[in-house]
Amino acid sequence: MTPVVTAPRPGHCPWPFQPPAAPLLMLLPALVLLPLAALLPGLVHGGGWELIGQFAAAALTPSLDPVLLGAAFTGLGVTVGIALLGWALSLALGLVGGVLSSRTIWRTLLAEAWPAELIRRFLAVPRSIHELLWGLLFLQLVGLQPAVAVLAIAIPYAALVARVVGDLLDALPTAPLDALRNAGAGAPGALLTALGPALLPGAFSYGGYRLECALRSATLLGVFGLGGLGTELRLTLQSLQFHELWTGLWLLLAVMLLLEGSLRLLRRRWGMPGRFGLDARGVGRSGRELLLALLALLPVLVLVARALGVNPASLLVWQALPPFLPNWPVVLALPWGSMVGTTVLLTLLAAALAVGGAPLLLLFVAPWPWGRLLLQGLWALGRLWPPPLTALLLLFVLKPGLVTAALALAFHNLGVLGRLLLEAADSAAEGPAAGGAELALRCAGCGPRLALLYGRFSGLARSYLAYGAYRADVILRETVVVGLVGAAGLGTLLLEALSSFAVDQLLALVAVYAALTLVGEDLSDRARRRLLAS
Amino acid sequence: MSSLFRRPLLRLRERSTAVLAGLALALFPAVLPPSQPGAAPLIPGAEAQQKLLRISAIPDQKPETLNRLYPLLANELSRSLGVPVKYVPVTDYTAAVSAFRRGDLDLVWFGALTGVQARLQKPGAKVIAQRDIDGSFHSLFIANTVSGLKPIRNQKGLSELKGKRFTFGSESSTSGRLMPQYFLGQAGVTLQDFAGGAPGFSSSHDATIALVQSGAYQAGVVNEEVWQSSLLSGKTDPRKVIVIWRTPGYPNYHWLAQPDLDQRFGKGFTAKLQGSFLNLRANNPKQADILELFGAKRFIPAPVAQYDAIEKVGREIGKIR
Repeated sequence: MTPVVTAPRPGHCPWPFQPPAAPLLMLLPALVLLPLAALLPGLVHGGGWELIGQFAAAALTPSLDPVLLGAAFTGLGVTVGIALLGWALSLALGLVGGVLSSRTIWRTLLAEAWPAELIRRFLAVPRSIHELLWGLLFLQLVGLQPAVAVLAIAIPYAALVARVVGDLLDALPTAPLDALRNAGAGAPGALLTALGPALLPGAFSYGGYRLECALRSATLLGVFGLGGLGTELRLTLQSLQFHELWTGLWLLLAVMLLLEGSLRLLRRRWGMPGRFGLDARGVGRSGRELLLALLALLPVLVLVARALGVNPASLLVWQALPPFLPNWPVVLALPWGSMVGTTVLLTLLAAALAVGGAPLLLLFVAPWPWGRLLLQGLWALGRLWPPPLTALLLLFVLKPGLVTAALALAFHNLGVLGRLLLEAADSAAEGPAAGGAELALRCAGCGPRLALLYGRFSGLARSYLAYGAYRADVILRETVVVGLVGAAGLGTLLLEALSSFAVDQLLALVAVYAALTLVGEDLSDRARRRLLAS
Repeated sequence: MSSLFRRPLLRLRERSTAVLAGLALALFPAVLPPSQPGAAPLIPGAEAQQKLLRISAIPDQKPETLNRLYPLLANELSRSLGVPVKYVPVTDYTAAVSAFRRGDLDLVWFGALTGVQARLQKPGAKVIAQRDIDGSFHSLFIANTVSGLKPIRNQKGLSELKGKRFTFGSESSTSGRLMPQYFLGQAGVTLQDFAGGAPGFSSSHDATIALVQSGAYQAGVVNEEVWQSSLLSGKTDPRKVIVIWRTPGYPNYHWLAQPDLDQRFGKGFTAKLQGSFLNLRANNPKQADILELFGAKRFIPAPVAQYDAIEKVGREIGKIR
């Protein structure tokens, strides 16, 4: 909750001799707009402007046909249910995994930290595979059932939660723990007393954000036929029934905003840090209330699982993968180099657009009161639309390829980043110091844009960029998703391999993806550490 | 002082609001109507459904068309076979093949390619019947009139499509991808030759027509039967989208059944099932509706050997491994 405010650095030297000031650093990625602006005219074919117009116009007149509404509500229920179950399962598993991958815990219990390292390495593998790939894999193994989507979300999410919880645990001060141990307390009891309460605010806040992510993931899984509203969104888009499409989109938007709003309220109420300040120390409030809410959640989860027809036992009945003769020469002959290159380029382009775009847009609309609302609306839509749907929509007017895919990915992640930036900026404005800086700049005659940039963003820049590095890692994982609509990268190959039942190619592709995301994760970690350290 | 007395009450109220909020949020999906069987895109679990015949079809057309047709057929089959029959919709071609392999579906209306894929994955599966038009099926290359593409005289003319924005149907569609790609290849057109370096995959024939008509793609390829019904229903505007070439004939759609139906439903069930299809007649009003929605005069036996050619093309193009 406590915003970190760095004072503007004294003594500005001319630019070549010192890196640009932190708030400018934030805008640096947006430079990618220049080459993009040069490329874009060549990519527009404009054949489907009429369709885009119809799509936009249909937003005002969604279909209210009762049958359709019923189907949309059912689909929405399935999507929300899958998200909730997947999220809860991932939190439970992730907490256990997080404790197991904490160096502090192992050191206290065994006086050795190597099991933590080992478990961390091991957990990197499930994390490196996108939930959609997990879903498609389980689909082949156990057939189409709601439990598949739940598990597909739970596995990579649990590994992510484990990592964050492990990091949070290891970042906690060990003085209370040492004191308890020295006073003769047993290891488990001392750990629980010293680390438990201190861990909760960060872990719960992060858990809340994961629920938002889970809703987005469940929608996306639906787009690829794994149940829920996503399926209807894709079918209506592909058959160009925009009025029906908007019915689903508006419903989803309402649920998403409701969820985000409630979680924000709860975070404030319970005194939990925002997404950028997870490492910030602090204790939560209203612990009993929180506990009650958690207890209330349990029967609800059981009810939801019942309503969805999730049957964990059915996950145990595995069917063999389609029979195949591994044909490795063919696998090796796939255009790996160009595909990996495209995927990396796609990631960089999308990440730069999203990370640089959010502050740029905020600055751009700073002078106008309605501009902010407009942006919030746009970003909500960006978060809401699964990137493959955006890509399909963009293909109406743009040629397929890298840029189109990057735009779709960037739009989605811009929505996520923009909201978090705005949230952090708002809570920074509540702090006495930060609001003062902006106000002081305004009083000194600065325009609203400059005042916002130097007064408010300067304190956020590093943590924002650090989160941006993490987001780039997420985008790398997500490239598979736009590839699946034939836009670009390894995903396109994956789709062909799936529909050809070429298991050898499929396995090779997943392995390459996993390797790529592991490298990406490492690079993004390094970038983040550097950003947060300096 | 008064604040001191009010605080516990206030805290209690705050607490209960938060709990209520959490509850309401979490309960939301539970209060929604439970998914209706049949309408929901989820296939019932892996439990062996002994006496229920589950039929399905590759989703090659608009879901509305399929949802009108297959429940009608399920009723008719249920009447003639004396067992409950249920239509289970699937979301894409690959899912239909996978579900057939796992035994989640008993009888599926496959295209030639997906049928071959399914038989390779489920040895012993039985080809039941095809329509009168399926022995020699045709695809149509269509173009938006603004694209400047004109009807072409022979197959070599397909090279006109180089550099155009082009869309197939589903990746695994026989008439919307496999055979067209084969004919394009014979004319020297590869997938990289299209604008943007890759073709689109619209997912269904209806979507292809809509996308080409809108101008989002300059050209595409569809199943002749879907094109004609779209033209008849007035959905397609002949001023905006025209046919530029009709492919030679090839075998396509057929019904494929699980190998173990006789064990599950009794001896001779597979033969009885085949009979039900072959005996559909246009002079029976109910059966006439079904035949009309299928775009067929009648169903006929399907010789398995005719799909050898499809399998060969499938292997050449890499859709069969």
